[in-house]
Amino acid sequence: QTGALLEILHCAVGIVPSSVVLTSFQVMSRVFLIWAVTHSVKEVQSEDSVLLYVIAWTMTEIIRYSFYTFSLLNHLPYLIKWARYTLFIVLYPMGVSGELLTIYAALPFVRQAGLYSISLPNKYNFSFDYYAFLILIMISYIPIFPQLYFHMIHQRRKVLSHTEEHKKFD
Amino acid sequence: MFKRHKSLPSKRKREIFSQGATGSTLRNDLRNFHCLSQLVLSAGPVKSAPVSKHSKTAHFEIEILDAQTRKQICIVDKVMQTSTIHDVKQKFHKECPQWYPSQVGLQLEQGGPFLKDYIAIQSIAASSIVTLYFTDLGQQVSWTTVFLAEYTGPLLIYLLFYLRIPYIYDMKESSRRLRHPVVHLACLCHCIHYIRYLLETLFVHKVSAGHTPLKNLIKGCAFYWGFTSWIAYYINHPQYTPPSFGNRQVAVSAINFLICEAGNHFINVILAHPNHTGINACFPSPNYNPFTWMFFLVSCPNYTYEIGSWISFTIMTQTLPVGIFTLLMSIQMSLWAQKKHKIYLKKFSSYMHRKSAMIPFIL
Repeated sequence: QTGALLEILHCAVGIVPSSVVLTSFQVMSRVFLIWAVTHSVKEVQSEDSVLLYVIAWTMTEIIRYSFYTFSLLNHLPYLIKWARYTLFIVLYPMGVSGELLTIYAALPFVRQAGLYSISLPNKYNFSFDYYAFLILIMISYIPIFPQLYFHMIHQRRKVLSHTEEHKKFD
Repeated sequence: MFKRHKSLPSKRKREIFSQGATGSTLRNDLRNFHCLSQLVLSAGPVKSAPVSKHSKTAHFEIEILDAQTRKQICIVDKVMQTSTIHDVKQKFHKECPQWYPSQVGLQLEQGGPFLKDYIAIQSIAASSIVTLYFTDLGQQVSWTTVFLAEYTGPLLIYLLFYLRIPYIYDMKESSRRLRHPVVHLACLCHCIHYIRYLLETLFVHKVSAGHTPLKNLIKGCAFYWGFTSWIAYYINHPQYTPPSFGNRQVAVSAINFLICEAGNHFINVILAHPNHTGINACFPSPNYNPFTWMFFLVSCPNYTYEIGSWISFTIMTQTLPVGIFTLLMSIQMSLWAQKKHKIYLKKFSSYMHRKSAMIPFIL
């Protein structure tokens, strides 16, 4: 997943036509979840929610990268395209719930250990509460998730109906 | 929507011309010949031939099409030769009242740049029928409103935190009156900064482009207000730690702050001078005022002085959030300064000898 940071670079340089903001958002959220939550809070690593999002991400990535590979070879089986634009309906909510449950499970341990938090008073007059930050992140899922989900559904309708028309004309 | 009745006034005008010629003096003849020669020289495309016979008193007709659907929305006629885009927008608003003049974006071709208000119709018209494409720019607010909202907010928010409104800080801690003088000084400096901004917006600045979309107002206000509450929280906190180097650090940075504020003010006054605004601007020149000598080194000294103020404020309070705010503002202002610098380089290359955009000798 950390290697996926390269994808942001590709978008920024221009090799890939996707939007930099959208891609960086997705990659950063995954990298954050892995390093800043699952890796940092060791007690969370045995939770079921971790299994949930790892499965969701793995399946999504397998389908997505095979989609890209076949596209480059100009030999895209309809099954891969269908899978990419249909399985997300199940996998995306699965991944999101896995992520949210993991963060929720990590919260008491963060509070206990005072992880990544700076408190007043200090020389530079700054404070940061990681606990509150995690709660803010969980709340931010609420507006963002529906937007991304409906964007994908819209894409699905566009791509799959386009293929239907193509088939008809063929 | 409007019938093309331009043939009627043209007939009438031809009659007047012919009457003038019969009882005319030599001067009239010459004038008519002059008109005719002008017509020949400035002949437009053939399709508008019936109207361009007498360009001296002709009115323009502006056809306004929707930029996306290319459907005709309406025709604005009887547009005088000396009109500008601004007048066209006013007339358009009278025909279609749901679009205010500031919301209207007119382009000469689809996908072209939006025409500015001061452009005269005559300069873009190839014939007396002009086709413009219309785009609804969305809800617009004037720049003055944006600035006033953006700067009043921080002023009031900082004071709220300074006066230690209950529920923000722990009551027991904040009731101890021991506040380091730098906290009072910081409040004073902050208020001076924003009061100066407000007064300059009201009395000094001349804004060239009138309006901006509502989204920019929301974004700007969120940025300024959010950051002000963040920095005000830490500076006025009961557990605030004064700067490490004590009074010397505070005094030096406070004096620096005042110098930069004064400099910024004088630069803004110069920039608002009629010589330096609008399309006929000339490059601002330094005068007897020592603050304006920055113009020798830099092309946008107002940004230089502003960054100087904020850096002094950061050092004075020694607060990391202020530093983050200063950094973000510097990045934003350096982008603006680079843009302006490029425009100056194109326009006034003779003045721009060895000058940098914002920070002397760097950037």
